Amino acid sequence: MNKLAFLILEGLKNIWRHKLTVFTSVFSVFLTLMIIGSLFITIDNSNSLIKYLRSKYKIEVFFEKGISDKESKMILNKIRNISGVRNATYISSNDAIKIFKDQFGEDIHEMLGYNPLPSSTVVNIIDTGQEEFSVAPIIRSINNISGIDTVKYQGRLIQRIERFYQKFLNAFIIVAGVIIVITIFIISSTIRLTIYARREMIKTLKLIGATNLFIKTPFLLEGMFHGLFGALLATGTLIGLVHAGNLYINKILTFQINYQHTTTFWLIGISVVISLIGSYRAVSKII
Amino acid sequence: MISFKNVSYSHNRESGIYNADLQINDGEFAFLIGPTGSGKTTIMRLIYMDLFPESGIVTVNGYHSNKIKHRKIPHLRRNIGMVFQDYHLLTDRTLFDNVALALHIVGTDSAELEDRVMDVLYEVGLEGKEDRKPNELSGGEQQRACLARALIKEPEIILADEPTGNLDPLAAFELIKLLEKINQEGTSIFMASHNYNLIKGRGHRIMEIHEGKLRNGQ
Repeated sequence: MNKLAFLILEGLKNIWRHKLTVFTSVFSVFLTLMIIGSLFITIDNSNSLIKYLRSKYKIEVFFEKGISDKESKMILNKIRNISGVRNATYISSNDAIKIFKDQFGEDIHEMLGYNPLPSSTVVNIIDTGQEEFSVAPIIRSINNISGIDTVKYQGRLIQRIERFYQKFLNAFIIVAGVIIVITIFIISSTIRLTIYARREMIKTLKLIGATNLFIKTPFLLEGMFHGLFGALLATGTLIGLVHAGNLYINKILTFQINYQHTTTFWLIGISVVISLIGSYRAVSKII
Repeated sequence: MISFKNVSYSHNRESGIYNADLQINDGEFAFLIGPTGSGKTTIMRLIYMDLFPESGIVTVNGYHSNKIKHRKIPHLRRNIGMVFQDYHLLTDRTLFDNVALALHIVGTDSAELEDRVMDVLYEVGLEGKEDRKPNELSGGEQQRACLARALIKEPEIILADEPTGNLDPLAAFELIKLLEKINQEGTSIFMASHNYNLIKGRGHRIMEIHEGKLRNGQ
């Protein structure tokens, strides 16, 4: 316990002793997390938009004429069991007459003397998940059910948006990966500089019987602290920017930029991990 | 305690030690004399296993150079106190922190640590100077601080590599007297020096090394 307390204290003291190099490292973590955090927020908010669009996604399924109510209910159950279907609302041919009257002001049954409108169902799809959602398999499954006459859907625009969203997600993964690798190199170089500055101390510690783990630990902790400070600075700044942005946006739109608190934990986690990797890389090469 | 059996180590064609046999017993005080570059530091480094012999075996406190695992070297060194010509004190830490470092390594609790540091500073005559940084101490005091850091581990042996090299004659004499006092309490001392006048006539065994050849090693 005493040894651990000493090592933690040494890690903190190292930060104070190498203020300038620490500043470089913390600032690079800060910039990295600002970029990754901004992308997180963008993805999160565009995910809400996708969710909204998906909730509006409707598939209209018209049943063959002359189908009985019992058969319609069976078809409906089959549709509800298709993977990706959130719910399906049944519209009987009589309900269709009412809807026609509401929309066009005419009673089609009176006009024609018979009801030409088939019974149908409106199908809504699931609205969760970040992966690109394809409506085609659902359409195929519905078409395979006997008793279906026509399937109508307005998915082209939404699919285009989803495809763009997917490309954005893929680009995010690549950009974040590159930035993380660069940050690991920066942290690694900073810790290496610190180690060089402390080489006399390392030599002395080795001579008086310190194990490699004892010598390495303060540098690893120092790297972790860099990550933690950078993460706290970045999340604080991001939260401030989101609040300021919302104040400005609220004057023009009802839209709100959403900041999930899980983003903070993610950013802290990412920064601590990349800092530890960076500092471990440095100490393993030198000590 | 320390033995060399037919040990050779060469840094290059012109320097090193060759076929050295050496024995230092428990509680002994022995000097190693030789000119600069004769191999004194090589012998010291072989003892604390910073170097390993190209042939022969070095044995220190039961650890054999041909068998010791790398991770065991710190344990070997915890039983050896080392004093160097250039002190190896950490300039950004106080005297107290420099001396305490050896105890932090083994996880001594803070109350015991403080008592032991103050005791050892008293033993080497540096009481009252614990808050000073090394650059606020004289050469003699820095060397005694180095000795205090070695002593605090209560080692079985102290290796002193040219400890008087940077000291004036009076400080050098006082350091030898201090080492003799420590030796009388049971700690073995092995001290390398190139100053024959300082070590002659003190009643301790003197080994001689010249161009890598050791004489009177056993």
